[in-house]
Amino acid sequence: MVGMPYDLLANPLGAVRLTFQKAVDSGHSGAATLDGRDWGAADLFRQFLFDDGGLSQVPILNAASVRTIPPNSLVRFRGMIQDMLGNEFYVGAYKDGGRWRTNKFTDVSQVPMDLSSDKRVWERRLLYCAPVPWLNSWTEPSSEVLLNRCASSTSPQTEKRQRDDDETIDHMDMEVLDHVFQGSPPAKKIRGGHPSPSSHSHECMAEGTCSSTSMVPDFESSSLPCLVKIYDSAEDDLKLNDIFEFIGVLTFDPEATAADKGDSDELENGFCEEESVHLPPSKVPRLHCLEHRKLGVHDFLSISPVMEPKPNQVKEIRETLLGHLTAVLGNDGLAAEFMLLHFLSKVHARVDTLAVGKLSLNLTCFNKENTSVFGNSLNLAVKNLLPITHSIPLSVDYLNTSTLAPRKDYETNRLMSGVLQLAEGSHLTIDETHIQAGTLTSVGVENTRLLKNVMELQKVEYDFKYYKMEMTTDVQLLVLSEGKSNIFPADIVLPLRPSSVGSTEMLDSEALKAWRWYLASLRSLPHTIEPQMQKVVEDDMVAARQANRTLGSQDFSRWLTMGRLMSLSFGETCLSLEHWQMVKELERLRMERLQ
Amino acid sequence: MKPSSLVSSSFSLLPPPRSKDGTMKDLDFNRDKDLARDFLSNFADANGEPKYMKTLQDVANHKIKAIQIDLEDLFNYKDLDEEFLRRVTENTRRYIGIFADAIDELIPEPTEAFPDDDHDILMTQRSEEGTENTDGADPRQRMPPEIKRFYEVYIRASSKGRPSTIREVKATYIGQLVRISGIVTRCSDVKPLMQVAVYTCEECGFEIYQEVTARVFMPLFECPSKRCKTNNTKGNLILQLRASKFLKFQEAKIQELAEHVPKGHIPRTMTVHCRGELTRKVAPGDVVELSGIFLPIPYTGFRAMRAGLVADTYLEAMSVSHFKKKYEEYELKGDEEEQIARLAEDGDIYNKLARSLAPEIFGHEDIKKALLLLLVGAPHRKLKDGMKIRGDLHICLMGDPGVAKSQLLKHIINVAPRGVYTTGKGSSGVGLTAAVQKDPVTNEMVLEGGALVLADMGICAIDEFDKMDESDRTSIHEVMEQQTVSIAKAGITTSLNARTAVLAAANPAWGRYDLRRTPAENINLPPALLSRFDILWLILDRADMDSDLEMARHVVYVHQNKESPSLGFTPLEPSVLRFLFTYTRAYISAARKLSPSIPKELEEYIASAYSGIRQDEAKSNSPHSYTTVRTLLSILRISAALARLRFSDTVAQSDVDEALRLMQMSKFSLYSEDRQRSGLDAISDIYSILRDEAARTNKMDVSYAHALNWISRKVISDCLKWMCSVQGYSEAQLKECLEEYAALNVWQIHPNTFDIRFIDA
Repeated sequence: MVGMPYDLLANPLGAVRLTFQKAVDSGHSGAATLDGRDWGAADLFRQFLFDDGGLSQVPILNAASVRTIPPNSLVRFRGMIQDMLGNEFYVGAYKDGGRWRTNKFTDVSQVPMDLSSDKRVWERRLLYCAPVPWLNSWTEPSSEVLLNRCASSTSPQTEKRQRDDDETIDHMDMEVLDHVFQGSPPAKKIRGGHPSPSSHSHECMAEGTCSSTSMVPDFESSSLPCLVKIYDSAEDDLKLNDIFEFIGVLTFDPEATAADKGDSDELENGFCEEESVHLPPSKVPRLHCLEHRKLGVHDFLSISPVMEPKPNQVKEIRETLLGHLTAVLGNDGLAAEFMLLHFLSKVHARVDTLAVGKLSLNLTCFNKENTSVFGNSLNLAVKNLLPITHSIPLSVDYLNTSTLAPRKDYETNRLMSGVLQLAEGSHLTIDETHIQAGTLTSVGVENTRLLKNVMELQKVEYDFKYYKMEMTTDVQLLVLSEGKSNIFPADIVLPLRPSSVGSTEMLDSEALKAWRWYLASLRSLPHTIEPQMQKVVEDDMVAARQANRTLGSQDFSRWLTMGRLMSLSFGETCLSLEHWQMVKELERLRMERLQ
Repeated sequence: MKPSSLVSSSFSLLPPPRSKDGTMKDLDFNRDKDLARDFLSNFADANGEPKYMKTLQDVANHKIKAIQIDLEDLFNYKDLDEEFLRRVTENTRRYIGIFADAIDELIPEPTEAFPDDDHDILMTQRSEEGTENTDGADPRQRMPPEIKRFYEVYIRASSKGRPSTIREVKATYIGQLVRISGIVTRCSDVKPLMQVAVYTCEECGFEIYQEVTARVFMPLFECPSKRCKTNNTKGNLILQLRASKFLKFQEAKIQELAEHVPKGHIPRTMTVHCRGELTRKVAPGDVVELSGIFLPIPYTGFRAMRAGLVADTYLEAMSVSHFKKKYEEYELKGDEEEQIARLAEDGDIYNKLARSLAPEIFGHEDIKKALLLLLVGAPHRKLKDGMKIRGDLHICLMGDPGVAKSQLLKHIINVAPRGVYTTGKGSSGVGLTAAVQKDPVTNEMVLEGGALVLADMGICAIDEFDKMDESDRTSIHEVMEQQTVSIAKAGITTSLNARTAVLAAANPAWGRYDLRRTPAENINLPPALLSRFDILWLILDRADMDSDLEMARHVVYVHQNKESPSLGFTPLEPSVLRFLFTYTRAYISAARKLSPSIPKELEEYIASAYSGIRQDEAKSNSPHSYTTVRTLLSILRISAALARLRFSDTVAQSDVDEALRLMQMSKFSLYSEDRQRSGLDAISDIYSILRDEAARTNKMDVSYAHALNWISRKVISDCLKWMCSVQGYSEAQLKECLEEYAALNVWQIHPNTFDIRFIDA
């Protein structure tokens, strides 16, 4: 295809319609043959985006850029699928005079439709996507470029001054958005589970009928949710809590509220739960998805695949990273080794109820004094190394008041997010050192059970009121506690033995980059055990069990996981005797400490 | 002025009528009306009764209001026109009108007197005025047929096949009759919905009718009658609420059932509109199966202009049926019945089903068999003097930590149509039985059922049974034998039903089973409670090389291959475990309906077996169990459950033998050392079984199937064998034995069928 008749970036719909016209003209039976399938538009865009390198030119949609990107242009949006709103029926193709026209990838039809004309009803799926929860700020791609773009456009403040009577609603919207921008609290406010009440009440007033604030979960970054409409794709492609990059046509209509609201009052005898009411087009942009791709943890690194370090460097990186972790943990080399394995862990299979590959870690011997030193530096280190991290300072109050599990709200027909609705590969630190004696309410008991389930089974029960649904997660869990945590039985319990005060070394950004790459890419390596090695492993296990009857399949499973992670940490895909010995040695040292 | 919609556009999204050209359309519908009338007047049900004419007579007598037309009947109709059937399914909304027109013509005169209500009086008045009133062709002045009708017509989808899930209802279904299952999540209040608006004109006094087909309508303001038009008076219309016809209307939301949601997805919802007689049929939380018409609602007013491309959809309910949760009420679907029939023919269902329970739990086959029997249960018996004997089996699993007791419990609850899982300590203030609580709103005393009451007619799994509160433990005595919970608290004295099978799991007294102490010390439950369990299963975690290696292999395999090792057999439908659950459920429900009896000749056999056990216990200095009359009942119950599983209505001796074997296997892990000492190797043991059996039945020929049955069941005809433990043998061992002894010329083996013929010495 040489010389696009349409600018795919600025006028993607033009290209969509052109291909549609072609497809209809070439077919015999009009639009009927195009029911539920693509007619070449997606191919066109796929070629443009991936083969011709157009992807980097597509602007990223976020809270800052949403006001400056013109509607009906091509954008991309990175987010986690937070809720699924079911499917929507729309008039996909209709006859305008003698010509078939299409409404695919758009909300508004090009020309007014004749009610009685021939038409085809098609369907699309609605996904409610939110920015990835607890994504660390270092992952955001080239934020400077975006800032520059914003500055050149009209700032919200100037818009605010044009105060027409007609625009009061619009103005209020702006104010609310401003509030979200400025007031989007840096972590601390949210952490306690009490999202800043002031911003809430404000928004509730602006919204009037149903508060839509509660819909938009509070996340750390200036969050912009997006309603993504998916066309002709298999249902299994897109799962809840997956992180995706959606590329498609943006429709965003800040003025739509007034009209829609007037109308929704009209139908108040129905259930007020259409997404246009709760997710007004003025706040939540719509993206008509042309192309989507799943993102993994490594997609959040700023490093490009070409710059990947060579395999022989892996050992080197491992050494330096281990050194860094040792320093952070107050010169405790053993803890650093376990920490490294823990960072590399990932649920790579589910057998029956078992999540194979998880390795949760419980560091004990924290007390009030050294928590402030090690706890904080550890948190910082985790934050710097892994893209998605969150820390829960556990207290009786927190357990009793916070909502951990996502819950379905039938009033609004939405899934309310909870702390435990986490994307795959997230890291969660539970700080148990602050917990005091107290009474748990039924909410607290339920929350404790949820956390325990995540730890043991890597599953979260979503509350659908009439039944609960278990959703699998893949979260690395780190527990910091004074003694062995009895509430959350981790796979590995290790007392911390710091010998020096944690150093506050300056981090070299190159090294940091290498470490991030190391942790993100090595965890998805394949792994095998050769038959003769398998024999050694089995014999070792039997011997161990003969010596110690308390060992069970859980312990064996842990050893194998550690063996796997140990090989991975060296960039190898096959378990060697050396690494197996290392695992056994680590376990021996750990057992010694536990005594 | 309010924005309002055009009534005529309400179904604009429906596919166009399928007739080839527009002129034929009306004709077609007239012909279809005749077809409908034919069907209604001539259809005869299985008994040859004119089903619909009888219904119509009841309607004419004002006994019922709803006329349910079953598509299945239409399908079974002798003069079935398949095209007609297809048209009805695909354009149901239209055909309801056609059927209603047909019914209008068919409705008989009332045969019984009934009191006139407002509606009838109004109608008589209208028909009297009717003659002078018809002044022309204006449709607004002709009385619409809806206002005359005092009945409602529903077309119900065929109940054959599986209902769709909400997810499966796609754009192509619009306008069609569908059947879906789901759980009701919200219900609106019942409100009146105007069906026909009636106005009177101030000027000419005519009644003007307007049919309403949408939620919103544009009221008329000017009288359209001829008289007003010719006089050009623009008569003012006044809406007559009393004369208008309203329908009851209720909106509900249904959501996909948890088992229909694919992994990693959120359940979908759908709006349901219930009208007339179908209102107030559902409440939030109900699991229902609906048939209805899947229809779009176009947006109106401003939204139509903005978002005119999108349509909300809803299901107009045609019939509502609730899912039954109890075994007895579970209705078998056609294909399920077939599968059960195939299973029943297969013969080895007992083993197959048992192995299909918790396949991810390694080994424990006999425990699984016992649990299967718990799921099946024996029939309840009511004696002539009113005494009831329970049929539910109670099982207690007692064992060392980490032997998968809890997993077994949870799995059983999963499979049971009705099951409650609780822990002895964990249950709230209500506890296991019931509690009287003060309602915070009304301040009234209310009775709240605990786990055992909630599990009525089902299974109650109680984990950590040994850590239970003393008060609950005493009340559980009553539940387990009398199957009721009595309450005498805060002025409320009552007895609640708790016909539940109790499945308990407990740890031994010191956490682990201590072999140096006596069983009674280890078990640490009062004999009164213990005797109520039909089976007390001891699961000991014993140290031996083989099992350790087995475990190590299993773990390594799981890590290597990311799946459980193959089970060495094909469990029932291994691919879809979920399907299997419903499968076992269906199967067990069928089995529960049988209530087998014990033939006379077996009574003696059971009695001697029982007395044998009693004597053995008396001889032993440290009894492992408390054998009481309850044990005898247990044997009967287990045998009856076994007979049920065989789809037999009489208990056979093999059932009793298996029951005895299971009861004995429950203590097996205690005696595994004794067995090693007992010395008999497998091959000679098998031989002795076969020889004894053949001698007992006085036969020289033994079929292979029988032989297999005997060795796997391990007949214990001699009760003295009670203590000497024996175990079922495998088929491979049988074959080995057959060959070995055939070589010794003890018997001959048929080369193809492997049937055995003893050579008489």
